[in-house]
Amino acid sequence: MSLYQLVYYSRNAIAGDASVFEAEVDAILAASRRNNEAAGITGALLFNAGVFAQVLEGPLAAVEATFERIQQDERHGDVSLLALEPIAQRSFSNWAMGFVGHSAENAQRFAAIGLTRGFDPARLGGHKMHAILRDLTLEEEAAAA
Amino acid sequence: MSPQSLHAPEASPPPDAILNALPHPVIVISDDGEVIYANGAAQVALGGWIAGLPFAEIFPGSDESFERLIARGSALTLASKTHARYRALAGPPSAYGRVLSLFPDESATPAAIADTDELTGLLKRNGLNDGIERALVAEDGGAGRVAIHCIDLDRFKVVNDTLGHGVGDVLLARVAERIRSACRKGDCVARIGGDEFVVVQTGIASPEDAERLAARLVDLIGRTYVLSGHTVNIGASVGVAVAEAGNGPRDMLRNGDLALYEAKRAGRGRFRTFETGMDAALKYRRELEIDLRRALALKQFAVHYQPFVDLRDDRVIGFEALIRWDHPVRGRVPPMDFIPLAEETGLIAKIGEWVLRTACATAATWPEPMTVAVNISPVQFKSDTLVETVVSALAHSGLSPQRLEIEITEGALLEDTVNVLKTLHALQALGVKISMDDFGTGYSSLSYLQKFPFDKIKIDRSFVQGSDEDSEAILKAIASLGLSLGMAITAEGVETPEQLARIRDEQCTHVQGYLTGRPMPADGIHPFLSE
Repeated sequence: MSLYQLVYYSRNAIAGDASVFEAEVDAILAASRRNNEAAGITGALLFNAGVFAQVLEGPLAAVEATFERIQQDERHGDVSLLALEPIAQRSFSNWAMGFVGHSAENAQRFAAIGLTRGFDPARLGGHKMHAILRDLTLEEEAAAA
Repeated sequence: MSPQSLHAPEASPPPDAILNALPHPVIVISDDGEVIYANGAAQVALGGWIAGLPFAEIFPGSDESFERLIARGSALTLASKTHARYRALAGPPSAYGRVLSLFPDESATPAAIADTDELTGLLKRNGLNDGIERALVAEDGGAGRVAIHCIDLDRFKVVNDTLGHGVGDVLLARVAERIRSACRKGDCVARIGGDEFVVVQTGIASPEDAERLAARLVDLIGRTYVLSGHTVNIGASVGVAVAEAGNGPRDMLRNGDLALYEAKRAGRGRFRTFETGMDAALKYRRELEIDLRRALALKQFAVHYQPFVDLRDDRVIGFEALIRWDHPVRGRVPPMDFIPLAEETGLIAKIGEWVLRTACATAATWPEPMTVAVNISPVQFKSDTLVETVVSALAHSGLSPQRLEIEITEGALLEDTVNVLKTLHALQALGVKISMDDFGTGYSSLSYLQKFPFDKIKIDRSFVQGSDEDSEAILKAIASLGLSLGMAITAEGVETPEQLARIRDEQCTHVQGYLTGRPMPADGIHPFLSE
C-alpha cells in the first residue's frame, strides 16, 4: 500500500481568549490522536495563535478521509494545500501526532524564523514546511526521551 | 399448405392458458374484497400465491376499501407492497366479483427511489418540492422563517473533463457531504441537476441566519478537495431566498434562482440574497438581450464618427467610430447600457465585427486619407479570429492598414496577456495602429505601456475636465510619459477653449471632444470637412 504525505496550513478561526484556544487545541489533539491512530495516520501539527500547519502521512484513502474531515472543521479557514505526494517512508513514524508550539524553545524558534503570530507560511513551500515540522518534532521527541 | 388450412378449425386454447399467457397481471376481487383469482403475471408481480388474501394487503397504499375505490371510477392507480405502481382497469360487477387488469405505471416509479439521488443520497426535485412544502407548513407559512439556498458549482465541468466522470462523481458525493455538514440535521438537501444543489433552511430568526449559512456553504464547498490523489478546486455560487408570506415551493425556487443568477453575474464564488426588483431587472435584461440579438439583422445600429484633431496644425486627421443603437420603441440606447450585455452574451463578437467592417468601408470613401479609430472589446480579443477579421475588413474595403487604428482598453490586457500581446503584435505588423483607450481610469498600470509599443495613449475625459490640481498633475504626468515613450497623446472630452489651452500646455499631441466636433453620421463627414 503506497504511502502519501499531505501538508497544509490554514488560518485559525477560533474566537475567544487564550483559554478557549487552549481548550479547543486540546480537543483537536485528542480527537486527532484517536482518529489517526485507528486510520494509520501519523504526522505533526504545528500551530500558533494565527495558523495551523499539519503534516499527514498514511495510506492515500486514510489521508484523504482525514483531510476531508479537517476541511469540514469550522475552527479554521483559508486552507492551503502545500504538498500532496507519494512517499517511500514516513517521516513521522514514531508519533501518532506531534504537538509543537508550547515550549519556550519552540516559541523562540517561531520568533527566529518569523513564525510568530501573523507570519506568512506560504513562503515556506511544502518541503520547507515539512522540514521545519520534522526538525521540530524530532527535537520534541529527543526532549521527551 | 392449401389456403383452406389457414382457416381449418383448431381446438381453441383453454381460457386459463390465455389468462396465464397475458403479459399483464389480471386478478379477480370478490365482493368481500378478497383476491379469488390471479393469473401468472399477477402472481409474479404481486408476490406468488395471492389468492385468498385481502385486497388491502396486496395494495397497502390505499386507505379506502376496494368497493369505495371502485365507486370513484373504473380507472385507478394502485401501489403494491414493493411500491410498484399500476394503472388498474376494473370490469363491471358480476356474480363472482370484479376482474381487474393491471398495467405497470412507468410514469411513477416507487416514491422512495424516485425521490433520492443515487450518487449523493440527497433528495431529488420531487422530494425537494415536498420538503419545501413541509417546511413552509411547519413554520406557519414560513414567512421570514424558511430560506432556500440554490447552489451551483463553479468549474465542475472542468473537473469532469480533465479528471473524468469517475472523479467528478466522487466530487459530487463529497460536495453533498460538505453541504450536509453545514446544515442542521432536519434541513432538507437536494441535488436537482448535474451540479446544482438546494438546501431548505428552517427555523431562521433573521435574514442574517440565512446569510451565515450561505457564506458557510460558499466557504466550505470552495475548500480544496483531495480525490484519489488529485487536488481539486471548485467554487460555489449561492442564491438565497427567504420565504415571503404566501410563497410556495415554486416561488421560492424561482427567487433563489434569480439570486443565484445575480451571484454568478457578480463573479461567482459568492452568494446573493433575493430582493424584490431582481425579477424586474432580470426581465429588463432578458428583453434587452432579445432586442439586442435582433438589432443587427433589423439594421438598428449605425456608426457615428467623432473627429480628432492634430494640435500641431489644428487639422482633423481622423475620426473615432462610435456605435449608435436606435431602437423603435426604446429610442436611442446608450452604449454603456448595451455593450456590457453584448460582452456578457458574446454578441459583441458579431456587433464588433460589423462596426469594424462598416467603419473601414466608410473611411475608404473619405476625401482625404484620414485615420479611422475602432474600439475592440476585450471579449473580441479572446476569439482566435480577430486578426483574420481585421485583414478581411481591410481587404473588402480597400482601406490601407495605416489608416486603421484599433483602440483597446486595459481590460483587454488583464487576462491571457501573452495571447493578447501576440494578437496586438500581429495587428501592428499589418501596419494597423494600436492605441490605449481610457487611460487613467482602470488599473493604469505603467507596465502595460512597457509591454506593448502603443502608437497612442488616450487620456480619459475625467482628467481633462477635472479642474483640480490632481487631475492636472496626472494629465501632465501621462503626457510627458507618452512623450518620452514616443507615443502620441490624445486628450478626450475637451469641451471648452480653457480646457483646450491647458491641453496644449501639457504637450498633448491630439484632442477629441465636443469643442472640436461632435459624433456625426457618415453622411455628415463631407459637409463637416468642407466647412
